[in-house]
Amino acid sequence: MGSLLVSMRVVFLIAMRNLTSHRVKSLIVGSIMAFGTMLLVVGTSLLDSVEESMEKVVTASLTGQLQIYSTEGRDELSLFGGLTASRPDIGEIEDFSKLKELVEPIDNVEAIVPMGITIATGAGGNDIDSTLTELRRAVDKRDAKEMKKLEGQIVQLASLLEDEYEYRAKITSDTEKLERDIEVLQRVQEGSFWEDFDLNANARLMYLDTKLAPLAADGKLFFLRLLGTDPQLFKTSFDRFEIDKGQMIPPGKRGVLLSRRAHERFLKHRVARQLDRIKREIEVEGRSLEDDELLQGRVRRLSRQYRRILFQLDVAETAKLETMLREKLDDDAPDDDLAKLVEKFLLVDSQNFDDRYTYFYDNIAPMIELYRVNVGETVTVQAFTRRGYLKAMNVKIWGTFQFKGIEDSDLAGVVNLTDMLTFRELYGKMTDAQRAELESLREEVGVEAVARDDAEDALFGGDAEVMEDGAVGELTDGFDEFEGVDLLERDERKTRAGELTYKQEELDSGLALNAAVILKDRERIAQTKRAIEAAIAKEGLKLRVVDWQEAAGIVGQLIIVIRLVLYAAIFIIFLVALVIINNSMVMATMERVSEIGTMRAIGAPRAFVLVLFMLETLALGLIAGSIGGLTGALLVEAAGYYGIPAFNEIVRFIFAGPYLYPHVTLGNVLLAAAVIFIVSVIATLYPAIVATRIQPVVAMRGRD
Amino acid sequence: MGAIVEIEDVTKDYPLGKLVVQALRGVSLRIDKGEFTTIAGPSGSGKTTLLNLIGCVDIPSSGAVRIAGNMTSNMSDAALTNLRLQKLGFIFQSFNLIPVLDVFQNVEFPLLLQGDLSKGERAKRVEDILGRVGLTDQIKQRPNELSGGQRQRVAIARALVTNPAIVLADEPTANLDSVTGNTIIELMKELNATAETTFIFSTHDPKVMRQATRVIRLVDGQIVHDGKGTEGVIEATDPALARREEE
Repeated sequence: MGSLLVSMRVVFLIAMRNLTSHRVKSLIVGSIMAFGTMLLVVGTSLLDSVEESMEKVVTASLTGQLQIYSTEGRDELSLFGGLTASRPDIGEIEDFSKLKELVEPIDNVEAIVPMGITIATGAGGNDIDSTLTELRRAVDKRDAKEMKKLEGQIVQLASLLEDEYEYRAKITSDTEKLERDIEVLQRVQEGSFWEDFDLNANARLMYLDTKLAPLAADGKLFFLRLLGTDPQLFKTSFDRFEIDKGQMIPPGKRGVLLSRRAHERFLKHRVARQLDRIKREIEVEGRSLEDDELLQGRVRRLSRQYRRILFQLDVAETAKLETMLREKLDDDAPDDDLAKLVEKFLLVDSQNFDDRYTYFYDNIAPMIELYRVNVGETVTVQAFTRRGYLKAMNVKIWGTFQFKGIEDSDLAGVVNLTDMLTFRELYGKMTDAQRAELESLREEVGVEAVARDDAEDALFGGDAEVMEDGAVGELTDGFDEFEGVDLLERDERKTRAGELTYKQEELDSGLALNAAVILKDRERIAQTKRAIEAAIAKEGLKLRVVDWQEAAGIVGQLIIVIRLVLYAAIFIIFLVALVIINNSMVMATMERVSEIGTMRAIGAPRAFVLVLFMLETLALGLIAGSIGGLTGALLVEAAGYYGIPAFNEIVRFIFAGPYLYPHVTLGNVLLAAAVIFIVSVIATLYPAIVATRIQPVVAMRGRD
Repeated sequence: MGAIVEIEDVTKDYPLGKLVVQALRGVSLRIDKGEFTTIAGPSGSGKTTLLNLIGCVDIPSSGAVRIAGNMTSNMSDAALTNLRLQKLGFIFQSFNLIPVLDVFQNVEFPLLLQGDLSKGERAKRVEDILGRVGLTDQIKQRPNELSGGQRQRVAIARALVTNPAIVLADEPTANLDSVTGNTIIELMKELNATAETTFIFSTHDPKVMRQATRVIRLVDGQIVHDGKGTEGVIEATDPALARREEE
């Protein structure tokens, strides 16, 4: 053993001296090793940082560390959306309060938040709709001045639409319907339509509602992915959550918070949205209006949207804007009407973009409806319930919210928040109050619940007296669907929507689709997951627990895919490195046959030669690995200091924010060290074995 | 004096494609301790093969080779390695020093492999032997900083530092000029006298041969001469030289 130690010293000495005396070989092999290590450290650090920042954002905005949902559904939970646009079937948690009781006392559980996602469509009405609403209000208040102003606006709208429809008539063969539509548009522009308007207000408004409104394209239908939850608990549990505009849904009140992203991207006036987008592409993505064809195309399309501004102006505003734009554009051509002027104004270029962008928001935006839905308004949303019927309800928009750090990421816009009770209604689950109301209605009308099997008998059998003969005639003759419905009450009903309240017990007890579990110590995810699983199994609940990465859906999987790609790249690099190192070591062995033969002849055992070769590569690996690892670590830390900007939306999405601030962990360095060690050993094994097979007899042959 | 090398009816065959070359054909030989023996013969006569067998870097195809009482044909590679380390010293035609080690380290190398001596003992032994070969001043130099003669002195020092029973030298003067070659042989002879080490070396050089106390001549794998004098051997080995010497 002693001899081994002593000879180790000389092995080490020879190995080191060999490294320095074969400089070119050492340099080539060392460079490859250093580069590989650097890449490994940088790659894994970046990836870990991305994963970490994504984890922070994902867990602190929507998923929590764990998610619980049913085992009965057909689909997997995917909170940030999956590959399909339809509503996935993730099953149901029938009674959330039961789950809450079970999970809350478990060690390391901070909170459990009920959730459920449904997709609703909102109808904010189109431009004519909103003008008609205002007109109805003015009629109601008998505000003649306001009525006159709105009359002008509607006439102008009709005139603009008439131009459009006449143009359409030129290019279509189906002119019959178009002619009827044009007739309506002309009728609305006639002075006689507006004479005695207040006397026939209801009939005239009905005409406008049913005949004119449908002619304006762009029915303001919008999609909302609604996450039902306990809003107060959500706010305290997800610390990335913050209110952007308006206010938080007050405790016990019902309503909706829109995501800022959805509000800005889907509910904003199209012209404003396009201007924002161009600005973003110039500032964030570094595109230029001067030479970027995509951007230029966007501007051309934007300028054709001038009607969307004109539609929303009343007569006075039209005149005002015309004067303003004429001055702004320095345009005195008498043929240029406002349409032409707005079109010209929107045809921005690299010189005037910033100026016009500011001008738009300062001067034009106040005249138009900038958002289809505004904070504080009540809107009607509709959703298909799980049974497939359409459920509509009024919901108050309390405000908009965003998640800190990912304000600009698509991640942030994927859900809008609502209370659990609103969710349940849209999902098709009745509240206790509704059930009671329905029950009393049934009693009042005398409706009986009929089992499906008995339905035919009940409806058509001789025994059942569902409806008296006379009643049928009454219903069909002169049926007026609006009879008894006061259309003017619409606003009032909407106002009431914001006043609806509920109690905490109502929220807790009842249906949820999934539940987020917030942990005190996020390092103990696996352990807590097992504890929850055990508790669920003990109660015999058909529920499963998944971690945030799985629950996030495609987002969580994205990082796994990126990691696989990186590992594949590194594997290939090291494979190449392995071949090169192996080759150069075999060459070195061949060059040193006589030297090794001499050592063997003098009495060095095979192990001595093996160790000598391994040591040479390992020492090189250690030195090169340290240099590469250090360089990599410095690069990552420098990147962490300055921040890596996300240069487009996809990267911003991956970075979970506008910048990534990566940092190196000991784990990254140790992993790189382990890999370089293994690669060194594998690369040297073959040449080292070849070297041990060199016979001492070769030393006896002269070199000459 | 006891036999240090015993060779009995040894043959050595090398396969060469489909042919088998017989390098040694029934050689028997005994060398006693302290002899200063040269093995002579033309190229291909089998003298290197014979040295390889004695040096335990090869084993015979048949027959017995006993080195310091060990029958080499039965030994494992590890045992042969150890036998070489403990009992043999090698001097090569091309010196074969380890280029990355300095003079001291090259000489110390076999002692390190043996691992029996302390650092101080090793240093003393190395310095002593380097003194005897006259290289005290070059102790820190690398082989490439030395002349051919100096390198061969280092090789001799390395071969002798472990006090081996046998020193084998394969054409030790072939890469040296005649003056240096002579000095090297003188040195070997002196060490042979003082350390009682058995020297066995192959050579073409008649001047070197004349220094030997015993000359064994091989032709076609067989011993054709074994005796104290060089009579007839030089003529057979190098006729041109023999003629020049006569003149």
